[in-house]
Amino acid sequence: MTKKTRIFMGSSAAILVAGIGTGLIAYYGGGFPSLSASRSGPGELSYVPADSAVVAYANVREVMDSQLRQRLKTLMPQEQGQKEFQEQTGIDIERDIDYVVAAAQTLGAGGVHEPSGLVVARGRFNVTQLEALAREHGGVVEEYKGKRLIKATNVEKRVEAGAEGSTTDSYRTHSIVLAFLEPGLVGIGSEAAIKSSIDAQLSSQSITANNDMMELIADIDAGNNAWAVGRFDAIASQAHLPQEIASKLPAVKTFAAMAHIDGGITGMLRAETKDDESANNLRQVVQGLLALGRMANDPKATALMNSLQMSGSGKTVALSFSVPSELLDMIPQGIKDGPHELHSLPRELHDLHARPPVPPTPPTPPTPEK
Amino acid sequence: MMAGETPIPRPLPKAPAYWTAAVRIFDLSVGEMLWSRRTIFMGLVVGATVVISVFLRLLDAIGAPVFRANGVALSGSAVFGSFIWFFYLRFIVPVLGVFYGTSLIADEVEDKTITYLFTRPIRKGAVLVGKFLAYLACTIFVVLPSVVIIYVCLVPVRGSLGASFPDLLKDLGLLTIGLAVYGAVFAFVGARLKRPLLVGLIFVFGWEQAAMLIPGYLRHFTIAYYLQSLVPHAMPAEGLVSLLQSVFVDNPSLGASLFWLTVILLGFLWAAAVSVERKEYVLEQ
Repeated sequence: MTKKTRIFMGSSAAILVAGIGTGLIAYYGGGFPSLSASRSGPGELSYVPADSAVVAYANVREVMDSQLRQRLKTLMPQEQGQKEFQEQTGIDIERDIDYVVAAAQTLGAGGVHEPSGLVVARGRFNVTQLEALAREHGGVVEEYKGKRLIKATNVEKRVEAGAEGSTTDSYRTHSIVLAFLEPGLVGIGSEAAIKSSIDAQLSSQSITANNDMMELIADIDAGNNAWAVGRFDAIASQAHLPQEIASKLPAVKTFAAMAHIDGGITGMLRAETKDDESANNLRQVVQGLLALGRMANDPKATALMNSLQMSGSGKTVALSFSVPSELLDMIPQGIKDGPHELHSLPRELHDLHARPPVPPTPPTPPTPEK
Repeated sequence: MMAGETPIPRPLPKAPAYWTAAVRIFDLSVGEMLWSRRTIFMGLVVGATVVISVFLRLLDAIGAPVFRANGVALSGSAVFGSFIWFFYLRFIVPVLGVFYGTSLIADEVEDKTITYLFTRPIRKGAVLVGKFLAYLACTIFVVLPSVVIIYVCLVPVRGSLGASFPDLLKDLGLLTIGLAVYGAVFAFVGARLKRPLLVGLIFVFGWEQAAMLIPGYLRHFTIAYYLQSLVPHAMPAEGLVSLLQSVFVDNPSLGASLFWLTVILLGFLWAAAVSVERKEYVLEQ
């Protein structure tokens, strides 16, 4: 081997070692997420309990100011519900709420569906008006560790047959609490959720101490104005999927969904599987579906399918999407064509909900065989 | 020497063992191979990918929307994955395997220098094995550093070097395996057939491409089928070929892929060595 050859090989090896060394340092450097990840996300995450299974964020202000929202607003001018809400609460959703952070905890012991949702909203709120409204509706003012809570009881929750030992569908009551956490920051949720939120903030045992979740949040691109991350098992268990389907779902560990809403909607769905094989299986399924979708003759569907881009490596499977404003033109067209059907839908749903349940028909007695 | 004195017979040096001979051939061939015209071609191909990645990075740095596909922003690791698929796995690795593998013995025959190697007291098979190792060293020392440069260049764009590090190691491993397996197959083709380069190109760009698109068992007779299942990155969904491959995708397990790639590597290398041992090379005047 000549000297020239040795020098070449030495240089190549040096590049290889330097690159691998850099990757190795970065790999182990990422092993201290508390240093980096805790700085990710909004500060209100300190109110999210550490054991939350799903955390979501929406920059309401940006979404409301987006071109997409403005276009929808011109096409759907009648927002009676929003006006009523503003008159009663003094909150103009368009301007007064900056952003919201939502979280859901896991199921209660024994799979009991305890209401565990929590929403923390940052904005400008008229505390006096809110408190007066709550009192009008039978709300009770309490204090918990220095925070003012307004508790509304007798909120009915449907308990399905089979759950909590009941043989038929039944209703049970629970409390909804509105908490004034800080000036310009309110929390809404069940009593347990609000109390654990306050505890989390005071004890610093919030989601920011949960490295797994904070790593997921840290991976969210800063440009997104809405996102959600969480453990997939928490969602799968809430979905009440049949055992046959649930057992065939790929072994997805965590998920992240993020979107940037402006003129159109761009975003990404990302899943982390338990192992590389599961990721490969999931990729194959998604890729096959995308390929089949692209074969469709409908140009609108093809345009939508073309905007879906799969990526990811190792245990990560990512599906990016981009719905341009041109594609969203399909929605206003539908509204123009049949506004009645669209607007009447919530009322029908409401009527359906308000209608008393029809008692089941008693079974017909068996006819004795002759 | 005095008159009448009988000369003492000098003992014949012992022929080196098979592996010692192969290492000596490796030492002799690696320099030749590295500074050949073929390596200039390899340098150009591999260098082009590095230049493209640096160029993309620079464009991204000045705000050009280059890391986008169908209007969707892509992370650097996704683009790096596409580089591995398009440039390395589908082009560079098979082409280098064909060009170098088929020429291991054919070049010596063409240059009429094979006689010098075959008259040495070493096994003919060791010549091929030594040359194969030289090919592997040459290609690895050119291809893998380029992959590392692209990784460092692209992955930090909306991605993390640390998070993608295990995938880099997998990429380096699978490219090494790919170079070895393609090299072994084409070493056999080069040792056995008369127009090995043509056969090699037909295999890589004809047979492998076609078999991967046809549903059924035909794809089991390609190297790409086993190699592609090792890729940690999602297959880019671009073009008709990728589209059809997505529909008929059927990846073997990691263990099965590694097993069959090892079988192909050892089997073809052994067959090539045996072929060289048995074949009589007639040099054209």
